[in-house]
Amino acid sequence: MTHIPRCAVLAAGLALVAGLAQAQTTSTTGRLLASNCFQCHGTNGKGPGFDTIAGKSANEIYQDMKEFQSGQEGKGIMAKHSWGFTDAQLRDLSNYLSRQR
Amino acid sequence: MQRRSFITGSAVGGLGLFSGCGGGSVAADATGTAEALSASQRAGAVPMATTPKARVIVIGGGMAGTAVAKYLRLWGDAVEVTLIEKNPKYVSNIMSSLVLTGQRTLSSLTYGYDTLKSRYGVKVVIDEVLAIDPVAVRVTLKSGGTLSADRIVLAPGIAFDSYAGSYDVNRMPHAWQAGPQTTLLAQQLAAMPPGGTVVLTIPKAPYRCPPGPYERACLLADWLKVNKPRSKLIVLDANPDFVTEVDNFSQAFFGLHASVIEYQTNVAISSVDSASMTLFTNLGAISGQVINLIPPQRAPALVKATGLATSPDGRFAPVDVLNYASMAQSRVHLIGDSSATTQPKAGHIANQEAKVCADALSRFFKGQSPDPAPVTNSACYSTITRSQASWLTAVFQYDPASKLMTSVANASGASEGWSGDNFEQMNTWFKALMGDTFA
Repeated sequence: MTHIPRCAVLAAGLALVAGLAQAQTTSTTGRLLASNCFQCHGTNGKGPGFDTIAGKSANEIYQDMKEFQSGQEGKGIMAKHSWGFTDAQLRDLSNYLSRQR
Repeated sequence: MQRRSFITGSAVGGLGLFSGCGGGSVAADATGTAEALSASQRAGAVPMATTPKARVIVIGGGMAGTAVAKYLRLWGDAVEVTLIEKNPKYVSNIMSSLVLTGQRTLSSLTYGYDTLKSRYGVKVVIDEVLAIDPVAVRVTLKSGGTLSADRIVLAPGIAFDSYAGSYDVNRMPHAWQAGPQTTLLAQQLAAMPPGGTVVLTIPKAPYRCPPGPYERACLLADWLKVNKPRSKLIVLDANPDFVTEVDNFSQAFFGLHASVIEYQTNVAISSVDSASMTLFTNLGAISGQVINLIPPQRAPALVKATGLATSPDGRFAPVDVLNYASMAQSRVHLIGDSSATTQPKAGHIANQEAKVCADALSRFFKGQSPDPAPVTNSACYSTITRSQASWLTAVFQYDPASKLMTSVANASGASEGWSGDNFEQMNTWFKALMGDTFA
């Protein structure tokens, strides 16, 4: 075990408890849309599977999807998938995924 | 019970922290904390209320049923979920054609319900449902006794038609539900001498896994070339053309595997004689050393007996795709292959139907309406050879005018050809899909 300052351990423990409490009240907007990603990127985007997407910024995820749409990422399965959602839906699912840590 | 252990877990964590602060070694603190945290995370992943706000019975622990049970516990507010499944383990149909070529074992495709129980607090009952009372929302179990709930979610998969004549499913295996049938077909293929004839039949759509029979034909053709030289694979399709992925399967059937595959369309099988290994068809009698007879499919008898199989042909159960409630009985929901929707019958999209259903039910138990604009997606890989694959995908949006899920044109389609990279991706996809469903 590495040396972890005691207060940091305590803080981490408290943060976890706070995180659990917060998770109970977090908005569910985008959750069902984002769950379309889970079959290939893991539950809540946390793997196992293809690239882990949980915790990337909402803008990064959204821009990734726009790049897939533009074709600059090639002709893979995501080039198709990215066109399956409206722009508003892409924003919602990106926001949801960015909150998964 | 779960909630109590959750609170206990947190308290242990707290004690560990403070006793650590009281003078224990840092290393001991860190270890103790890690254990306490993981224990509380495990127990507290989805805490179970002592008094559930709602109860759901899920019937069937396949791709759809397992996913809905998991997501009802993840997303539902104190929903008690009981999953009833006949078999203690699930054997994946996805990837099971690779057992025929010796590239996969059935045990590598076998999944249990332990994580569903321990991590998500799903109550798992290994039993068979004999009858459903859709009004009282009650089920009768084979072992005796009844269970009741606020809602039932049915995910029973498919059943097979029989054939006129002397039909023996063990002499002409379908291997379309992975398990003993898969082993049987693998053994028959292995025992066939070189220069033999294999027959594979494709039933009228809709059936489970639209590209499945074509990918199996391609895989077997590739395997026959090497392992059973001079053999022939006769594919008898009840449909007028390739049901899906026409470009890739045409190129594979008529190009890559043309020396092995003989493809016939619009084939109607009137009767079979399993003793002489013969199919009687509109093309005449067709015999083979190995016959992979994949029968027409429908929702299992329980769906019909409950009065839910009200599609025009009486084979499948129409549902409201906003919440997957049966059109015939609103307190019974139906997801996966036994439902009649515009979506394909396949494990990946069944997982998404399960999520839409779980979301709608968790909203319903809070007095809310379902999401008015659900999206679902289908994705899969097809083996074209033993080391190369293609892919196929579709995204569906809800259309309020027709009340159907409609595929988004430019989000739906197949790969241009096949590759070894796609074969690798297939393994990643399968691992992820099974993880999102069973873990």
